[in-house]
Amino acid sequence: MPDVQPATVSCESLQSYEATHVHAIYDEIAPHFSSTRYKASWVGVDLGTGNGKYLPLPADRPGSVWTIGLDRSINLLKIAKRAGDVDREVVWADVLDNPWRRGAFVCISLPSLRLNAQHWGLKRAYQDYAISIATIHHLASPDRRKFAVQRLLEAISPVHGCGLIYVWAVEQDDLSKRNIPARASQDELRSGSFALTGNGQDVFVPWVLAQPVEPKPKTRKQRKKAQTPVEEPESAPLATDVPPQIFNRYYHLFSQGELTELVMEAALDVGLVVGQPPEVDTSGKRIRGLQIVQDGWEMSNYYVELRRWEQ
Amino acid sequence: MVRLITHNLLACHAKGCTSNNFPLLFQDAAVELRDADFNADFLRGFLPRLEWPALVGAARQLGDTSLPAEQPDMLDDDFLQKLHHVLLEIHVEEGAMVCPNCKHVYPISNGIPNMLLAEHEIG
Repeated sequence: MPDVQPATVSCESLQSYEATHVHAIYDEIAPHFSSTRYKASWVGVDLGTGNGKYLPLPADRPGSVWTIGLDRSINLLKIAKRAGDVDREVVWADVLDNPWRRGAFVCISLPSLRLNAQHWGLKRAYQDYAISIATIHHLASPDRRKFAVQRLLEAISPVHGCGLIYVWAVEQDDLSKRNIPARASQDELRSGSFALTGNGQDVFVPWVLAQPVEPKPKTRKQRKKAQTPVEEPESAPLATDVPPQIFNRYYHLFSQGELTELVMEAALDVGLVVGQPPEVDTSGKRIRGLQIVQDGWEMSNYYVELRRWEQ
Repeated sequence: MVRLITHNLLACHAKGCTSNNFPLLFQDAAVELRDADFNADFLRGFLPRLEWPALVGAARQLGDTSLPAEQPDMLDDDFLQKLHHVLLEIHVEEGAMVCPNCKHVYPISNGIPNMLLAEHEIG
């Protein structure tokens, strides 16, 4: 590899300078340059994939990422397996289970590749990942939510795995269509044994199942049931004579900082150091850790982006 | 959909079953073949992630003997086409996967593997 050399930018025309020293070069090296990007295909898992909304992502690199959807609902999976009108891989399992072979989402035996990745400064391109979007808030105790985070941490590469978790927030923005009712009673949670702690709020969020609207009431022909769920009761085009079915879904709405604390607690419990990897490795001992890359509130959700590291 | 790309990632996770729990063995598999888009770069990138003997064994169980027992060094187009077919075009729609160790049966219905465990089987 030739050395990097100092460049002197001629100020006469920056545009033509860039045209010569940047654009023309990329045009020339394009096929090879492209072949050095995303060489390793990503593999990831969507824990709680629902209808598979996120399985086609990212749209700009459809062929380089392979995401498997996992969900507890068989009927959602029947929809997810054709998400985006393409055959998807889905697995019926619980987010508290770990039905993967050891290292399933780990890029193994690839020291040269990893080295190459660092060489190109493309570390992220080689990472395996797990996402959990709007799922963990359905688990009804702090321990179960923590276990779900731990399963996610186990699924990704201990060396470079990435994770992204989204949960509903107590703080809903004005545009949110979610109808947050009063706090769910402990009795309604069936078992009183849950130790519901934290500042979050346990609620039931109603789902109003739209009944089929008969455009021609005179015909006796049976119509296929249109089960179009809607987020808010009042917006559904409901038939007047059929009372809508209402399903109350359990949610633990997270309070500020709660998700981040949960992730950190989950990591500490499985022996990970929480924080950035140390600059220099002095002990010679292998340390595994977890870094919170970013966290915050967005559109009525809390999120945590995390990364595992090893030194 | 249970394609071999997914089968290659799944393992038995029943309580106490921690060794010889991969790869799961197909049982009474009903297979459908469906064309998928060929992407050579994706296949090359995925190769290092595969458990090769498990893939070859699973393909043979489903009647496909096109893959060599040893992963070849030369990734020519002919090989990649075969790999593409085995990984992405063979769909196991019905049947089951059985753990070679504890014999737990994971049914496959409508192309979806049921990896759920009963409460007492969870580790």
